Amino acid sequence: MTTTAVMSRAERATRTVTEFFDAYRAREVERMVECCTPNADFRYVPFEVWTRQRVIHGDGKVCTVGKAIWVSLIDSFPDLTNEVLSIHSDEDGNVAAEVTIGGTQSKDFGVIACGGGHYDLPHLFLFHVDSDDLIDDIVCYWDNVDWKTQLDWLEVD
Amino acid sequence: MLSENDDLDFGRALVHKFFEYVQAGDPDAILGLTSAEATITLVPLGIRGLMANEGVAYFASLASAFPDLIVRIRRVFTATDGTAVAEVTIDGTQAGEFLGVVNQEKHFDLDQAWLLKIGPDQQIVAVTGYWDQNQLYRRLGVKRLDRITITALEQSATV
Repeated sequence: MTTTAVMSRAERATRTVTEFFDAYRAREVERMVECCTPNADFRYVPFEVWTRQRVIHGDGKVCTVGKAIWVSLIDSFPDLTNEVLSIHSDEDGNVAAEVTIGGTQSKDFGVIACGGGHYDLPHLFLFHVDSDDLIDDIVCYWDNVDWKTQLDWLEVD
Repeated sequence: MLSENDDLDFGRALVHKFFEYVQAGDPDAILGLTSAEATITLVPLGIRGLMANEGVAYFASLASAFPDLIVRIRRVFTATDGTAVAEVTIDGTQAGEFLGVVNQEKHFDLDQAWLLKIGPDQQIVAVTGYWDQNQLYRRLGVKRLDRITITALEQSATV
C-alpha cells in the first residue's frame, strides 16, 4: 500500500502545496508549473498595472500569466525565497497557506525601480487541488504598501 | 456531539454571521461570536491585538467611514483544523476619515481574504485579514505612500 492510499484528501492537498512551495523556494518555475493542471486558473489579486488606456490585472492561467510573473520575479529578485508559516486544508481540495516571501532586488520590477533593497512580505495563498493531486486554482493576497515601502518605492501607481 | 459535516456547516454559518455584522457596522455583535481572549491580526495595517480592543476599533472605524458598506462573500471553506477561510469583496462610499485618508466621497471596492480560527467551544478565537492597502489608497485618491493625507487634501483643493 502506498502512502498516498492512506492519506486523506486534505493531507494530499497539503502535500501538493508543500511541493509547490519547495519548488518556488528552489526557484524552479517548471517544477512549480508541474504541480498544476495544464489549464489551472491564476489570480494575484494585488497585481494591478495602471496605464493610461487600461488596467492590467494578474488574472489568467498558471501556464501563461502565472509562469510569466514567477519568471519575472525571480529575474528581478534572484535570491527569492519563501517560508511556509501555516497550511489549512479541507476534504474538498481547498487549501490556504500563509507564507512569507522575500528577496533582494537586482533589477527593476514593474514600476518598482531597482534600489537593491530587500523585502520579506506576508502572503496568503488560496489553492484548489483536484482529485489527481494537482493544483487547478491559485489565488494570492499580499499588501503592496508594505512591499513598496520596504523597497523604497513610495508611489501608489 | 457535532459530526465533521456539522462542524463545516457551523464554520460556514459563523463566517456568514461574522460578515453580516461587519456590514451592519455592529462590533458588539461581532464580539458576541468571539471568545473573550480572541485575537485579531490585520496584516496590511500591522495591527495585532485583541478583538475586544483593536478589533472593535477597526470595525467601528470602517463602519463610521463607510456607512453604506456592503460585504459580499465570494468563497468560504472550513479546513480540517477548524480554520474558516473566506474571500470577500467590500465596497462602499467614503463619508469620513479612514486610516488617515481624508474623505473625498469616493466609492471603493476591495477584495480581501480572512482566516477565522474556530475554537472547541464554537467561538472564533483568532481573526486574520489580508488585503492590498495600495488598492484601497488608489481607490480613495491617495497618490504617494508617504503623503497619504496630504495628497488627498491637495486633490480635494483642486476639484
